[in-house]
Amino acid sequence: MIDFELTPKDQEIINLAHEQAKIARRYASYYDRHENELPPEQFPEANGLSNPIDLAESAADSSGARILHSLVMHEIYGGGIALHRSRWGLGNTVLDTVATPEQVEKWKNHTIAIAITEPGAGSDPANIRTTATFDRETDEWVLNGEKIFISQAESADAAMVFSRFVDAAGHRGMTTFLVEKGTPGFTVGPQLRKLGIRSHDTCNLLFENCRLPEFNHINGDFKSTMTVFNDSRPMVGAMALGVARAALDFTREMLAKNDIEIDYRGGIRSRSAIADRLLRLEAAFEAALLTVLRSKWREQQDIPPEVEASIAKAAGGKAARKITQGCIELLGPEALAEDHPLDRCFRDGRIFDIYEGAGEIQRLIIARAILDYTSRDLR
Amino acid sequence: MISFQLTEEQRLAQTMAAELARATLRPAARTGDEQLAVPPSILRAIWSTGIVQSQADAARSATLNAILLEELAVADAAFAIAAAAPLAFVSAIASQGSDAQKQALLPLFAGDQYRAASIAIMEPDFTFDVSAIRTTAAKTSGGYRLSGIKGPVPLAPQSSHFLVVARYDNGLEAFVVERDAPGVTIGPKRPNIGLRALDTATLTFDKVELRAGARLGESAGGDVKRIVDSARTALAAIMTGISRAVMEFVVLYTKERVVHGAPLAQKQVIAFRLADMRIETDAMRWMTWKAASILEKGGGATRAAQLAYTYAREQAMWIADEGVQMLGGHGYLRDNPVEMWYRDARTLSALEGVVGV
Repeated sequence: MIDFELTPKDQEIINLAHEQAKIARRYASYYDRHENELPPEQFPEANGLSNPIDLAESAADSSGARILHSLVMHEIYGGGIALHRSRWGLGNTVLDTVATPEQVEKWKNHTIAIAITEPGAGSDPANIRTTATFDRETDEWVLNGEKIFISQAESADAAMVFSRFVDAAGHRGMTTFLVEKGTPGFTVGPQLRKLGIRSHDTCNLLFENCRLPEFNHINGDFKSTMTVFNDSRPMVGAMALGVARAALDFTREMLAKNDIEIDYRGGIRSRSAIADRLLRLEAAFEAALLTVLRSKWREQQDIPPEVEASIAKAAGGKAARKITQGCIELLGPEALAEDHPLDRCFRDGRIFDIYEGAGEIQRLIIARAILDYTSRDLR
Repeated sequence: MISFQLTEEQRLAQTMAAELARATLRPAARTGDEQLAVPPSILRAIWSTGIVQSQADAARSATLNAILLEELAVADAAFAIAAAAPLAFVSAIASQGSDAQKQALLPLFAGDQYRAASIAIMEPDFTFDVSAIRTTAAKTSGGYRLSGIKGPVPLAPQSSHFLVVARYDNGLEAFVVERDAPGVTIGPKRPNIGLRALDTATLTFDKVELRAGARLGESAGGDVKRIVDSARTALAAIMTGISRAVMEFVVLYTKERVVHGAPLAQKQVIAFRLADMRIETDAMRWMTWKAASILEKGGGATRAAQLAYTYAREQAMWIADEGVQMLGGHGYLRDNPVEMWYRDARTLSALEGVVGV
């Protein structure tokens, strides 16, 4: 039955995440200004506190693990930095999805970053140039190439690298390799200098004649490997909206202090222009968040969520841009100061429509689906 | 518990409404627009769904109504309102009326003939707002005296009853007024930019004397806020439907229309806008469902309904506007439906209070 009410359990875990986000927020501006320092695995205040993500995954009587997890991430992103740093990387999802049991056993406790993007291949992974060539003499793969914009690059224990291959028989194709930190020929570059999300560990990776045994070859087909994004796309939407909500909450509070509040009962001619703008931003927030919940709900039903995942990502990314920009406009020049949260929300909020598939890529996926077009019909 | 799961009954009713919309309502849409009337066959078809009559039942479901109104509006928004206006009236009586009001009025809407009734809330004034209603009701020795002007009121000439929202004792109350009551004047047909099949008119209440039993809920009074919340939710459902109509139409058109050697739809500038139409239509629907499900549970839906309505108003107009643009000159011709949807979307987004879920 159609319902939009959180269960008491949902509410309890979301409240916990919200309280922790409030604590974490104290650290957000420090790491915003010190982007070369990695935040600790957990802040002292996290000692003895449960990680709401773990609770979301195992809670009984919730709206479901996928939905609740996304709402917890939404809260965490409202804080700007996580009290508990995630030990999970998208590379772990790839490992779980396509690796052999022996490979899973070996690396299940590693944090594994995912490495796809290259200087000449971002939204179009078909242009990947990183190549692994099989060396018959040593029975090893030799990996060469450069990966850019890699999340968790410095903190991860290993990277799941998307690569071309040329095997012993000369066959070519796309595959993935797990490369552990410390492997000769694998170097991690310095932290990238970003507009926002500066506490977010992001570097480039370099592979120069990096030799890997066959055991490190995670031989899933490329298509099933890409399905990890079905889960992550709506999650990015939820995260984007976490930043957007922090901006909205601050803006609503500051306007209320100045006696500007939305009366939801009235019509358009009962409101000031500022109250009307705020209402429209709230509506944009609600619209996008519901597409996230829809996508996560379908995921829980085991309905292939491809288009819904893209809708959620595109809607969340767009709403975060509109809302964080709009809030500053609503509050005016005083909102510009670095000591107010809107500065960081504005800069952080701009990433979500770019990473993990830019809004344009999501729109391509959606348009192909509604037009019944292949990727050749619509490029 | 958050869920988007339709019940089996909802799914069945949705399929039936979609089929009626496709096979019966859509083919008559242009005729309704041009002849400024909902054809009698369409009124019969709407009535045959039972959507209005079932509101008298305690098991009425705002969520189901929202689902059905979207489907009807995919065919034609004016026809959807021909269902949603009497629906709102019956639902208000059933949920807020006194026992006497229910006994007197509900049986009138249980027959097998279409019966019109409307909520009269808007006023013909450029500064009209639901929070600034000027029509007044004053207490008299035997009941109330109602004075003011209302409009546009859909289906006004056909309606047997109006539920008139008026200022009373520093608040808003609704009053059941019979069309033939002395002092009630129905103005001439006054067609609007869109939804032209709806016979809208201005109603004048010149010191209309009402019995004490005319006030919705009688001495307990009614909840006008809830009527407005329900209307905003219904309007959002109808705007979701019209947005889908535009989207489905332009998807087919842009795949067929070849420009510079390739279908229009293969150009990103078009394809991306189609994708945005899908994103926004989805979002509008979930917002509508959320408001409807809160209403159904008896909760405070004012914020959810306002958000759904505000978002749908913005997006439906944008989608209809883009729909016209994608057809180019053909979009400007009355041979294609998009110009009608363009007018209907603007009209819908200006309405308050006349429909319900």
